[in-house]
Amino acid sequence: MAHGHKSNEKVVFVGDSRVRKKTKTGPSVPPDYSSYPGKSEAFIPNFLLKEWMVGVVVLVGFLVLTISEAAPLGYPADPTNAAFIPMPDWYFLFLYQFLKLQYVSKDYVVLGTVGVPGIAFGALLLAPFLDTGKERRFYRRPITSLLMIMALVSCFWLTKQSWDHYQHELEITNTIPEHILREEKAEEAAKKAAESGGGGEAAEVEVPLVDKDDPAVELTKKAQCVACHGADLKGNESSGIPSFHGIGDEYSKEDLVDIVTNGKNNMPPFKDKLTAEEIDQLATWLAKQKKPE
Amino acid sequence: MSNHEHKDNSHRSAMKSGMSRRQFLSYTLGGAGAFMAAGMSLPMIRFAVDPILKKKAGGTWIKVVEASKITNEPQEFKFKIHQVDGWYVSDPELTAWISKDDQGNAFALSPICKHLGCTIAWNTEKNNEYVCPCHNAHYTKDGKNLVVAPKPLDEYDLKIENDWVYLGPVKANTRVV
Amino acid sequence: MLKGVYNWIDERLDITPMWRDVADHEVPEHVNPAHHFSAFVYCFGGLTFFITVIQILSGMFLTMYFVPDIINAYKSVDYLQHKVAFGGIVRGMHHWGASLVIVMMFLHTLRVFFTGSYKAPREMNWVVGMLIFFIMLGLGFTGYLLPWDNKAYFATKVGIQIAESVPYIGTYIKELMQGGEIVGAETLTRFFAIHVFFLPGALLALLAAHFFMIRKQGISGPL
Repeated sequence: MAHGHKSNEKVVFVGDSRVRKKTKTGPSVPPDYSSYPGKSEAFIPNFLLKEWMVGVVVLVGFLVLTISEAAPLGYPADPTNAAFIPMPDWYFLFLYQFLKLQYVSKDYVVLGTVGVPGIAFGALLLAPFLDTGKERRFYRRPITSLLMIMALVSCFWLTKQSWDHYQHELEITNTIPEHILREEKAEEAAKKAAESGGGGEAAEVEVPLVDKDDPAVELTKKAQCVACHGADLKGNESSGIPSFHGIGDEYSKEDLVDIVTNGKNNMPPFKDKLTAEEIDQLATWLAKQKKPE
Repeated sequence: MSNHEHKDNSHRSAMKSGMSRRQFLSYTLGGAGAFMAAGMSLPMIRFAVDPILKKKAGGTWIKVVEASKITNEPQEFKFKIHQVDGWYVSDPELTAWISKDDQGNAFALSPICKHLGCTIAWNTEKNNEYVCPCHNAHYTKDGKNLVVAPKPLDEYDLKIENDWVYLGPVKANTRVV
Repeated sequence: MLKGVYNWIDERLDITPMWRDVADHEVPEHVNPAHHFSAFVYCFGGLTFFITVIQILSGMFLTMYFVPDIINAYKSVDYLQHKVAFGGIVRGMHHWGASLVIVMMFLHTLRVFFTGSYKAPREMNWVVGMLIFFIMLGLGFTGYLLPWDNKAYFATKVGIQIAESVPYIGTYIKELMQGGEIVGAETLTRFFAIHVFFLPGALLALLAAHFFMIRKQGISGPL
């Protein structure tokens, strides 16, 4: 191999390393942009300073956002929660909504999940090889620009549709998104703790059912309470279905009679399914469900 | 072999015998590299894809509800199954919508929407249909897909013994042709 | 003193040319927001990198408390957000930063697209940039599951169901992503590994390639 030096070229290394010893030449000058119009300037510190000014503004806005808006956290995942309305993160909404369209769902779902997105993202990935003209100005290459603008408009439109549909679903099912519900509950609890003074971090204790053998327990099965409130009658906090355990602390017997008779929020009225005596019996038992002192 | 004569040749004159010393070394290097890459990654890849290759356990019958409780109107029933999820063994609750058809035969539908896997519910829009909150898929009482969803709702195997309803593994819907 | 240390290192490793190359290269006027305010559109790439650095750092710190296990994941997130000092802010940075990265990257992509900067000889850099885009979306998808709340669980289920509708290999993709037959314990550890090791590893390699190519080719000329 011919990697010996020519004898007249004197390269001096540092010790026995391959690092060249400094010569007296000045700093290396990279090629400038003298062919471009206007004044160019060095990257560090001149230009970077301007970019960091923009960075500072963005960071301040970002920190204000993180401090003012807590990251959402709902309730622990419960695979049996039938009432939960799933929503992907906002930047997937356009794809999520797209899959609801008639010709990409049902028998054509493959077209929706693989076909159209595959072509769209494939075209985006290979854009330089599809749009090979020399022209760079967007208004001089109308087809490319128009395709992109149409794609953008449909993405925005689909995202908005998806969000509106979600809001609509929340409304007709009378649901509050979990992370909001959870924050409200936490605030209430904090307020209560502050009022009662001390205690503060009262650990959540399992409240046992009072009078488990009461004949009213049979009524909860007969009236299909268990269908929503669960076989253990603990409800489903994340769906806004209250637990029966300790419910006597929250409602009086009169309230309970009213709720069972006429319904509340998502709960249907039971006046046709149960007799007045049965409702009374049930409410009496429910009103006894208090936390042990 | 022919390697022998290469020894004496400088690489400039080696072309005639088919493989130069340099080529031979490059191939050997490539081979050794491929062996090292495969030796390293094969165990890892087998490790990563294990879930696909594991044998699936067969289902068992779970006692769910008394047969007399089943009505023509679909009702939601929860039942516990024994589930082994890797290292995590649990007895989660599953949900089935059980109702009787006109002949009085009970059947149980899975609440997983066949469109994209959300959870459906009966009659939430007061039209005697199963409705999915995600993409507005609708199903009849038999689980027949009306809009959006590509397939009818899955069905649980169901048997009635001693006046109790037992549910088995999920299968494709048999009620809708 | 510092200069002495620098000279000592420089003599042995000859590092001056490396950073001088980065520091001294000239930046043309048409991308300089100090000269033309409209040139701020050229900042989106740098801002994307800035937010990415925030994401990597906040993510590293979050793993000090987070446990990728279905029993404890939710509890650990709840704890780090509500009980640890500044936990709300650090998790907030990671959560909102994820959205901001997507926004910035989106704007950066649009800038490159509408200025035609992806054209020859910069085709490869565009392709690498798109791969970075997909990796970021993958990070978003895998990261969404980690708090293990209902939103995370059900969104992931829907996402996996979408992957399952791919013909022929759909079921395998699904089981490979889930690490089993259901979205559960093994899905969470899998997503955690992908979110924390695999995708960031690929991301760093692609970012290095992206920056190397920018430095090598220089910025695209004025329109």
